[in-house]
Amino acid sequence: MRQAFLLDLAQCIGCEACTIACSVGNELPDEVTYIDISERVRGTFPDLVGGFDNHRCYHCGDAACVNVCPSGALYQEDGLTRLDWDACTGCEYCVSSCPYGVPVMNGGVATKCDGCREVTRSGGTPWCVETCPSDALQFGPRDEIAAEAHRRTEALRDKYPEVQVYGESQAGGLGVLVVSPEDPEVMGLPLAPRIPTEANLWQELVKPASFWVTSLAAIGAGVLGVIARRNHMAEMQHLHGGDHAAAATVHDHEQTATPTALADDQTTPPSTGDDDDEVSR
Amino acid sequence: MARAELSITRRQLLKSGLAAGAGGAVGAGALGGAPASAATAGDPWYRTGEIRTTYNVCDMCPWHCGIVVHTVDGEIRKIDGNPNDPKARGQLCPRGQGGISFMNDPDRLQAPMVRTGERGEGKFQEVSWDEALDLIAQGLNQIKERSGPESVAVFGHNAGDWWWADHFAQAWGTPNAAKPSSALCISASEEAAELTFGFPIGGYEPVDWDELQCVTLIGTHIGEDARNTKMQDLANLHGRGGTIITVDPRFSSAATKADHWLPIKPGTDTALLLAWMHVIIEEEAYNADFIEKWTTGFDRLVEHVADKTPEWAAEITDLPAEQIRETALEMAANAPQALIVPGRHVAWYGTDTQRMRAVYLINVLMGSYGCEGCLHFNTAPYIDDYSLPPYQVEGSAGGCAAEPDEDDDGPLGDLPEGPTGKARADGVQESFLQGPTALQELIEPMITGDPYPIEGLICYGTNLFHSVPMVERTKEAVQNLELFVAIDVLPMEHIAYADVVLPEATYLERHDDLYALAHKTPYIALREPAVSPMYDTRPGWWIAKALGERVGLEQYFPWDGIEDYLNTRLRSIGSDLDDLRARGGIIVQEGKPFFEDFDGESPFLTDSGKVELYSSVLEETGHDPLPEYEPPDEAPEGYFRLLYGRHPVHTFAKTQNTPALSKRYPENELWLNASQAADLGLSDGQRVMLENQDGVTDGPIKLKVTERIRPDSVYMVHGFGHRSDGLSRAGGQGASDNRLQSSYTLDPISGSAGLRNNFVRIASEA
Ligand code: SF4
Ligand code: SF4
Repeated sequence: MRQAFLLDLAQCIGCEACTIACSVGNELPDEVTYIDISERVRGTFPDLVGGFDNHRCYHCGDAACVNVCPSGALYQEDGLTRLDWDACTGCEYCVSSCPYGVPVMNGGVATKCDGCREVTRSGGTPWCVETCPSDALQFGPRDEIAAEAHRRTEALRDKYPEVQVYGESQAGGLGVLVVSPEDPEVMGLPLAPRIPTEANLWQELVKPASFWVTSLAAIGAGVLGVIARRNHMAEMQHLHGGDHAAAATVHDHEQTATPTALADDQTTPPSTGDDDDEVSR
Repeated sequence: MARAELSITRRQLLKSGLAAGAGGAVGAGALGGAPASAATAGDPWYRTGEIRTTYNVCDMCPWHCGIVVHTVDGEIRKIDGNPNDPKARGQLCPRGQGGISFMNDPDRLQAPMVRTGERGEGKFQEVSWDEALDLIAQGLNQIKERSGPESVAVFGHNAGDWWWADHFAQAWGTPNAAKPSSALCISASEEAAELTFGFPIGGYEPVDWDELQCVTLIGTHIGEDARNTKMQDLANLHGRGGTIITVDPRFSSAATKADHWLPIKPGTDTALLLAWMHVIIEEEAYNADFIEKWTTGFDRLVEHVADKTPEWAAEITDLPAEQIRETALEMAANAPQALIVPGRHVAWYGTDTQRMRAVYLINVLMGSYGCEGCLHFNTAPYIDDYSLPPYQVEGSAGGCAAEPDEDDDGPLGDLPEGPTGKARADGVQESFLQGPTALQELIEPMITGDPYPIEGLICYGTNLFHSVPMVERTKEAVQNLELFVAIDVLPMEHIAYADVVLPEATYLERHDDLYALAHKTPYIALREPAVSPMYDTRPGWWIAKALGERVGLEQYFPWDGIEDYLNTRLRSIGSDLDDLRARGGIIVQEGKPFFEDFDGESPFLTDSGKVELYSSVLEETGHDPLPEYEPPDEAPEGYFRLLYGRHPVHTFAKTQNTPALSKRYPENELWLNASQAADLGLSDGQRVMLENQDGVTDGPIKLKVTERIRPDSVYMVHGFGHRSDGLSRAGGQGASDNRLQSSYTLDPISGSAGLRNNFVRIASEA
């Protein structure tokens, strides 16, 4: 069953309980967390509006990172983009292909939220969801989460006339449905997420199905590689019982086929801190 | 790179554990049906190994949420909110999530130490517990023989302070026991309630959030002040469309959720409150039945606020009169499901008891007391204390219990005295009216010996140089002491001045007394260790007993061990430790939150049995019987008022060194209004030095140039600017608001230290 997160930005008060629960629960080094909280306030004193960005992996239905990953380290399971560090070869393709700038390299491997793999597989709730004191996060079957997102949106309309659900259609439908109290673009959530231009030739070859068709003419000798890669992907999906919904929405992305640079205000992904900190356990 | 490799190694371990034990679960469709239910203690756990769950009470802030601690093969892996706990309700705040990291901080004090260098030099020699305790016992006995037991002060902070600032101090016989959580925090709110309702309101504000429709927060910055339950309550109110009014010089996190933000001129809140009363009375929007039945002095209040118009307040508060009127009416329209939250730290301007009375008066005008969605009555849990011989000084130690004897003549009564006939040295009844022992007022006697010398100090968990104003004075005072004992977890700055340092086990490694909390539903919570203490550290209760036995107080510590103590108490309610564990670590009892629970009796404990809008005690003692607005000190030319507050991942000056928390917010910033920054040619992210009105400098601190604060004030998160060499992460990070508080304004009623009459200018670019 396709699972999803609810992320209610009208509720999030930026407390960072989720970021620390993420880091501690996933037993990451202290400086690593898969959630990045930052303030987003606009206006001039005293006429201000705003709140908090809560930037994290959106678990795209048609996930560019999964599509480009040559090693199978990234794969989909129950609608969540999982990441197996052991399999990661450190090629960084996912880093440069993610339209939301999510994966980052840590110590030579890609890191990002993988939906608390071990916890959710054993029937638990992701750590961030479990702790959020502001009822900004939920986790469950995607259709139920979608219904909850719409219920909340209606309840908030008086307070936030622009409120809407974000993520139902983007990138094959996101696995994080966002209650956006304002126009999503204002909240840093692109209506048409785009894959960055920085991709090198190899990545041109292996980027999502919707893109590689347009790149075909330029491929030349790389074709074999692409085919091999796609076969591998199919294998991985089979192996992990992944959700194949992504394939059905491939063409939704045609409109964004021309890669564009990330907007300047694209929120930055979580990053590591300095190198001097030993993990103490 | 070592770090990342480490993390992968751990993850691999985790994976292989799973592969061995739980492989079959993959894809088995075991996911819960409901969207997001908080996991309960019995939920499937994702690790294999020997998994143990213990019940505890979070000690990362004084809010005391119940927690469940999961250990795997003897190592703590995760802490969750206890779903049975009325405060945690299954969730935790960021600091609570960081508890494991707090315990694992490699900078912790690891063994008892005796000072070998000069005070402040930080030179120590490790000694055995026996040696350390013998030395302290000898020092305490010398002071007792020479000057009497009253000449030893005991300061206590955080969970576990009962063993010291209450139990040990009373058994020993000193009335000079104090907690920073009183005069440096909630005293004004407690004394205002005492004067108005006849009882203190309690540090766990009794607000019936579930049915509340309109909340007003004055300075209370829930969201940055990350008290778990309050964040949940505010979020729920917001989610169900309730009205939020915030009064704050800063566009706080809570203000981002608010329907109305009133960016008030700091220190003028009482004027706003009086104008709100004026509007509510003028518009006849008050609850006449409630006032008739439960209050005295309404007519005088009407007269008092007749000229306190919104226009009058607008001039003072720098808020539009229309906004004042509108918000008053909005509150009244939702009444009685509308109230102003009392808040917790209220030691602001030295006029704080009067401001807090004004807060209570508005709530009462709206009839917002004793009903659903109002202030409710807290009920104390029923459980017996461990039966002990009478204390050497009864009811006067531990600060919080230090109320004057009510049976005596006059409004004040006689102060309890220690064995050699000395009462509190903090100047109560002279420089201020009443209330718990004012910690900051015990510093001067250490220097001057007036009214009598304080020669010894046991400092349990109190961060002396990061919580008490006039830090230089505090340093001078501890230099004067004959004996200075510090019991703590981390090498805070004052530790370097102590003669003997005792390292305490953290809350995850120790028992404590039961948490028996007055609440809407009173309850009793358990703290049990999940792991044994790291290093050569010991629990506070153990230290108190071991020291007590060395100074002839064994009769006050008759139990055979902490489990005996706890079981004895629990048996008084037909329970014991096994039963408490079986109940998920919490026993919830029934409360009497509403009027209907009092069978027509008055729940108020004033002499009149009514809410005293007009305070007879204040009149008799020469204070304003109705709240007056008194302007705060004005900033000198070129200076900004120094405001301070919380960051959600930190508590006091306690967590800045905690690895997981320090990574999220490693240094504090100085919030400076963007137009002011432009005028001064300063830019965001730049580091500056600060100088206050007395020439005290501190920093460097990073500038946060923002529209989110008034131009006349600057703001920083409290608790940074540590200078202890022993704190490898927090040391040298940011600036200390406390160091810049080189003066305070004593509240003549509650003895609170008003901290916000300090001003800074940007002295230089660093
Ligand atoms: S825990 Fe909840 S409220 Fe806090 S930052 Fe995360 S999502 Fe926002
Ligand atoms: S509010 Fe946070 S730090 Fe305080 S007791 Fe609760 S979980 Fe712990």
